[in-house]
Amino acid sequence: MNGLLLAPILLPLAGGIVAMLGGRRGLAAERLVGAAATILLLPVAVALFAVADEGPIVSHAVGDWPAPYGIILVLDRLAAWMLLVTAIVATAAVLVAIGRSDGAGRHFHSLFQFQLLGVNGAFLTGDLFNLFVFFEVLLIASYALLSHGSRPERTQAAIRVAVLNLLGSTLFLVAIGCLYAAAGTLNLADLAARAATLPADRLGLWQAGGWLLIVVFALKAAVLPLGFWLPGAYGVTDGAVAALFSVLTKVGVVAIVRCCTLVFPGLDAGPVLWAAAIGTLTLGATGMLAARRLSTLAAHAVVLSVGLLLVSIAHFTRDSLAAATFYLAHGTFATAALFLVAMRVSAVRGGMGDALAEGPALRGRLALPAAFLLAAVAVAGLPPLGGFLAKLAILDAATGARGAAWTFAAVLAASLVSIVALARAGTTVFWKVGRGDDQAAEDPPSSPLAVAGTGLLLAVVVALALLAGPAFGRADLVAGQLLDREGYIRAVLGGRPGGGG
Amino acid sequence: MEGLVAVAIGVLVAAGVYLALRPRLFSVLLGITLLSYAVNLFLLAAGGLVVDAAPLTDRPGPYPDPLPQALVLTAIVISFGMTALVIVLTLRAMSERGHDRVDDGPDGGPA
Amino acid sequence: MPFVLALLPAALQRARVPPSAAAGAVAAAAAALLAWQAPAVADGQLLLFSVPWVPHIGLDFAFRLDGLSLLFAALIVGIGLLVILYAHYYLSDEDRNGRFFAYLLLFMGAMLGVVTADNLLLLLVFWELTSLSSFLLIGFWRGSAEARQGARLALLVTGAGGLALLAGVVLIGDIVGSYSLGEVLAAGDAIRGDDRYPLLLALVLLGAFTKSAQFPFHFWLPHAMAAPTPVSAYLHSATMVKAGIFLLMRLWPALAGSEEWFWVVGGTGLVTMIFAAYVALFQHDLKGLLAYSTVSQLGLITLLLGLGTPLAEIAAVFHVINHAAFKASLFMAAGIVDHETGTRDMRRLSGLARHMPYTATLAIVAASAMAGVPLLNGFISKEMFFAETFALPAPWSWVMPLAATLGGLFSVAYSARFVHDVFFGGQARDLPRTPHEPPRFMRVPVEILVVICLLVGLGPGLIVEPALRLAASALLQGPLPAFSLALWHGLNLPVLMSVVALAGGIALYLARRYLWSLHAETARALSGKRITESTVTALSAASTWLHGLIDRGGLRLSLVALLLVALAAGVAGFLPGPPVPTKVPLPAGLAGWAGFAALACAAAATVVLHRERLLAVVCVGVIGLVVSLAFVRLSAPDLALTQLLVEVITVLLLLLAMYFLPQRSPRESSGVRRAVDAFIAFLAGAGAAVLAWAMMLAPGETLSGFYLGQAKPGGGGYNVVNVILVDFRALDTLGEITVLGIAAFAVVAILDRIELPGRPLDWDGRPWPAGRSLLLEVLSRPLLPLALLVSTYLLLRGHNLPGGGFIAGLVTGTAVLVQYLGHGNAWVEARLPPRYTSVAALGIALAAVTGLASLAFGAPFLTSTFGYLDWPVVGRFEVASAMVFDLGVYLAVVGVVLSVLATIGRQHNAPEAG
Repeated sequence: MNGLLLAPILLPLAGGIVAMLGGRRGLAAERLVGAAATILLLPVAVALFAVADEGPIVSHAVGDWPAPYGIILVLDRLAAWMLLVTAIVATAAVLVAIGRSDGAGRHFHSLFQFQLLGVNGAFLTGDLFNLFVFFEVLLIASYALLSHGSRPERTQAAIRVAVLNLLGSTLFLVAIGCLYAAAGTLNLADLAARAATLPADRLGLWQAGGWLLIVVFALKAAVLPLGFWLPGAYGVTDGAVAALFSVLTKVGVVAIVRCCTLVFPGLDAGPVLWAAAIGTLTLGATGMLAARRLSTLAAHAVVLSVGLLLVSIAHFTRDSLAAATFYLAHGTFATAALFLVAMRVSAVRGGMGDALAEGPALRGRLALPAAFLLAAVAVAGLPPLGGFLAKLAILDAATGARGAAWTFAAVLAASLVSIVALARAGTTVFWKVGRGDDQAAEDPPSSPLAVAGTGLLLAVVVALALLAGPAFGRADLVAGQLLDREGYIRAVLGGRPGGGG
Repeated sequence: MEGLVAVAIGVLVAAGVYLALRPRLFSVLLGITLLSYAVNLFLLAAGGLVVDAAPLTDRPGPYPDPLPQALVLTAIVISFGMTALVIVLTLRAMSERGHDRVDDGPDGGPA
Repeated sequence: MPFVLALLPAALQRARVPPSAAAGAVAAAAAALLAWQAPAVADGQLLLFSVPWVPHIGLDFAFRLDGLSLLFAALIVGIGLLVILYAHYYLSDEDRNGRFFAYLLLFMGAMLGVVTADNLLLLLVFWELTSLSSFLLIGFWRGSAEARQGARLALLVTGAGGLALLAGVVLIGDIVGSYSLGEVLAAGDAIRGDDRYPLLLALVLLGAFTKSAQFPFHFWLPHAMAAPTPVSAYLHSATMVKAGIFLLMRLWPALAGSEEWFWVVGGTGLVTMIFAAYVALFQHDLKGLLAYSTVSQLGLITLLLGLGTPLAEIAAVFHVINHAAFKASLFMAAGIVDHETGTRDMRRLSGLARHMPYTATLAIVAASAMAGVPLLNGFISKEMFFAETFALPAPWSWVMPLAATLGGLFSVAYSARFVHDVFFGGQARDLPRTPHEPPRFMRVPVEILVVICLLVGLGPGLIVEPALRLAASALLQGPLPAFSLALWHGLNLPVLMSVVALAGGIALYLARRYLWSLHAETARALSGKRITESTVTALSAASTWLHGLIDRGGLRLSLVALLLVALAAGVAGFLPGPPVPTKVPLPAGLAGWAGFAALACAAAATVVLHRERLLAVVCVGVIGLVVSLAFVRLSAPDLALTQLLVEVITVLLLLLAMYFLPQRSPRESSGVRRAVDAFIAFLAGAGAAVLAWAMMLAPGETLSGFYLGQAKPGGGGYNVVNVILVDFRALDTLGEITVLGIAAFAVVAILDRIELPGRPLDWDGRPWPAGRSLLLEVLSRPLLPLALLVSTYLLLRGHNLPGGGFIAGLVTGTAVLVQYLGHGNAWVEARLPPRYTSVAALGIALAAVTGLASLAFGAPFLTSTFGYLDWPVVGRFEVASAMVFDLGVYLAVVGVVLSVLATIGRQHNAPEAG
């Protein structure tokens, strides 16, 4: 038992409730609670990372009921990695939100905390139905956050995402039903343990459930053809919210990784995932080219990053998973940073917003173009930042694998297209000026907190590149642990034999 | 009985899906509600059907599988929360846009 | 070799005040470091320095300084220094800021990285950095559309090449097993012997050719001339374009020596040399001429590399040095002309020798070097080139010299044009500015370079031979062949070729007028820029179309995609074999059939009547009722109660919402769409039915035995479902009430600050009844206490009998709701605090705190305990901590139900009140 495992769940829960109650005392109190609860997550995540870094998988049997009967929280290296990524992005997002946009609707900080609760819970839980519950927590919070800020297009986006995900949740329950009927358990490790000894007459149910589960996660991860909802949602919502949302797709990706490595290695989902990933990559790249606004471009960059992740994950080798793990962190930071930059551009350019068109001059500004440049380099996967290293590692891991030529072609072409799109966007927004120089004067004061938030993300991006050696070392260990199914099952089920009723 | 329940689930799903694909949010809401009924039945059925008993262990068996029931209860409550949220979003869209259409397309977009 | 490491951060740091001086200091420091290291290299040492960066992928901070690196590094730093000095005078005060010099230093650092990297991946890192920094430099004058386009074009072409190179390098790494240069260079045979050699060679060459502007990728270079001239002088003469050449030299031992290498590298170089020299002749822009001449000279070097003989390699290295010297000085001279006259158009310029004799002299010497006039450096390397062209087997032994002579001829012609059009001829007319000599120090860099041209030309053996030997031996990674650098080797064929080229070139220049008209017709058709740009535009248009299509598809497209993919997933699961029933079905019974019939009819009615919204809601209510009854029948009393109550509240919500919504849905979808939707719906329904059927008829062992057995002894309750909810899987329940709580907050947040239009008349056009229903008012009043009593009972008994926090909460919620219906908002809110969201929050908090309490006892989160109390009157009574948890659930549910309904209800009353 390790009580620290509860912190990433209970801290946002408490934060959400207190922020809600404190909200009656005004926005300032709500902000204080929201910021404190988010920033406190950082040391918690670091501590948990240290715990996971010791090697063995740590778990916490909620209610003192042993797995598979009770719900068990499991901290492995992947969970710790993602908790840390989430805490960093959330800290940046909450700072920027306080600096710029949290007053645009009620209960922002409550909802933000609940969002974190759902995300963290989804990373930690070792139980399929509990994963469903945490998904619902993060989803319902995301609908509310999506509509934050009183704009018709945001409401519309929230409705679409909500209805689509209601269908997704329905399918999730169907999948859970199939798997329970087939294997009689909900614990992931127990499911994994029983996979080998399933009677033939229930194999179909098991596989149908497995595929449905992958479909549901792919919907969250916005994998082709289930990702059409993403750009319209992430592209219109508040920048700070979108930055936080760049973690959400990764929840889906992580769920796919976990369920494919642990529970369904027999499904051999790799080739299907790979094909879908190539498509996703292409769709994301073309989307970046087609985008007319910077935030939409960033949203398509999220799609692209999911495609790149899955291209690597689909091989399910240690190297490919390690590369993907590294990119999980880098890609999330990079896209989040781009959303934050787009948000600022939008604020500075007044009525123009972040449209990719000739606009007022951003005179005397150095920090914003520099921030954009850094974020763009990170997103486009140019050196010396982590995106380039990740790309190298992904390609390196793909040599010799099936379809390597396609992987190379797709990854490199997508990189090129994203470079072109970002270069065009950057030159248009920051260089192509002149018209309406005089009306550009009005300049909202930049909030130090917002600058700190964006700066934090960019600093982390740079640090991740500098510390790429140790980071890759950890990512490799993550991958190694993911491929050690037996170790996971043993750690969660303890001495109890898997497959028993 | 099993066949009947299966067909009932199928009927609910078909009706729910058809309604969810309509161009008006109100119909979509009804469709989602039907789908949630269907999935609740489905999940209950995952434990196998037991007729005229109860998961109360102070009574004599046979007992139904209690776990799917607990899951369904959770699912019912969650889908209630979701439905409430979507209803409210619909109201908001109505106030912002003056209609409750789902998409702005040729087939269900503004007349 | 710590110097590179020391240099990079210094180079990358933003030079602030005074920018040019700071930049110069950094460059000078780099030069000093280089000079300090040079003797060691000259002694034949190979200086290596390595720090691991990402060992996992074989990427190290590894640098090497050998002769080749040293030569290029010296070029980069030396010319860099001169360019910084030149730029200080060239740029206007406004442009002469930190940004420019920071970019320049960034570029210098990246270039140094390219030439000193000892790890191919590290080389790639710097390679891409040079693309990036050159993008920033070319686009430095951001206001100009040409600068932006030129910058993007350069980034696109060199970026694409960089990505190809990346793929090639990864392949090399895969074959060699290391990215370390030493190992790669030693593994030349393995690489050339691999099946993938042609592919990786093509990829690497793509990288090199795009960077070095080789045909057909040369077109970005002339457009990059939109950059400030110091940038052109630096990047596009001496350094960046040489990166591709450097790469070919660096990898020469590993890649060269094959048929493919000869044909592709040599062929590309030959075509580039002649084609670009020809085009250069027709440029009217001074910098355009220089750009194409650069392309041509690079083609010459590439051709030399392609020839593959050691002597040709030496000639190539030599020409790199020479070209850097004369081309940088020519660019600077062009910049001076532009700076002092305001134009670079050779049709407007002429006779400048009178106004700036000194600059003219310098330019003439440099141009002569480019043309290969004797006594200058260009002559010697060109002689070597001519001599090497004979080394080939027939028929190349005569084709190649001819082609080489032709290339030389063109280069003489464009050099002549550069000199004659600008500095001689009649007095220039209407120049934007009156020409005069530039400031003293602006000329200094040019002077230095021109002096170098002269010195090398006069005494090659003394000046460059040591450096050349050093570099060439590093290039070849083996013994050097015998060669001698001298001005005069006697009267031989190469000299003859030089003479022909000089004479022919001058003749060609004299005949230029005839050629221009011919050229004008062919040039437009083959614009690489246009092709590239139209490709990008077409790709953008296609992307826009595709994503427009997706956007128009909207929610329906996403839903359909999800449904179809899910169906495919279900089918995929059963691919190994169809479901096999293993259980005998239960009899359905009359009640079963009746329920089924009711459900089917109601579902059908919902679909048919869905446009009549009120009726449709009623039908949905009927279905909910039937499902509740089904739960009763299927041994799930808790579910039945919950479903029923949720049903009531959901229907109420829908009815409340309908007050603000249209009463009917118009028929908006076409028949085809309805048919398609119906088909999809049918498939989904059939899929769900089959899956459910397969599931029910293949029962297996589940965990249920444990729960049934442990509910009482471990959880303290007979109602296993409730014990699961509050104990075994209490975390689910906590999450679930959190979802409810979020819904409550979200509802408040979403309906905040919006005005819903009220509806003065009911749907049939009648005014709403003014009074309230007396019956409802009278009946509802005692209902609340009664409901509270029932709730308490349900809550307490929940552990053992159907009931529990959810059901109790829903009962209370419904009862309070009835108060709203019976008495109106004002009456209720006067009596009950309307802060329902707080109630919900407190409920969640209570549940969580109950769970936390167990931590205090050293047990995991949400561990429950129970005991028995003997209450007077009531008797023996069980108390479980899980009940407190359930109380939290109860509060949360009450709070949520009421806050959702009250928030919408308040909207309801707003128009009436106002």
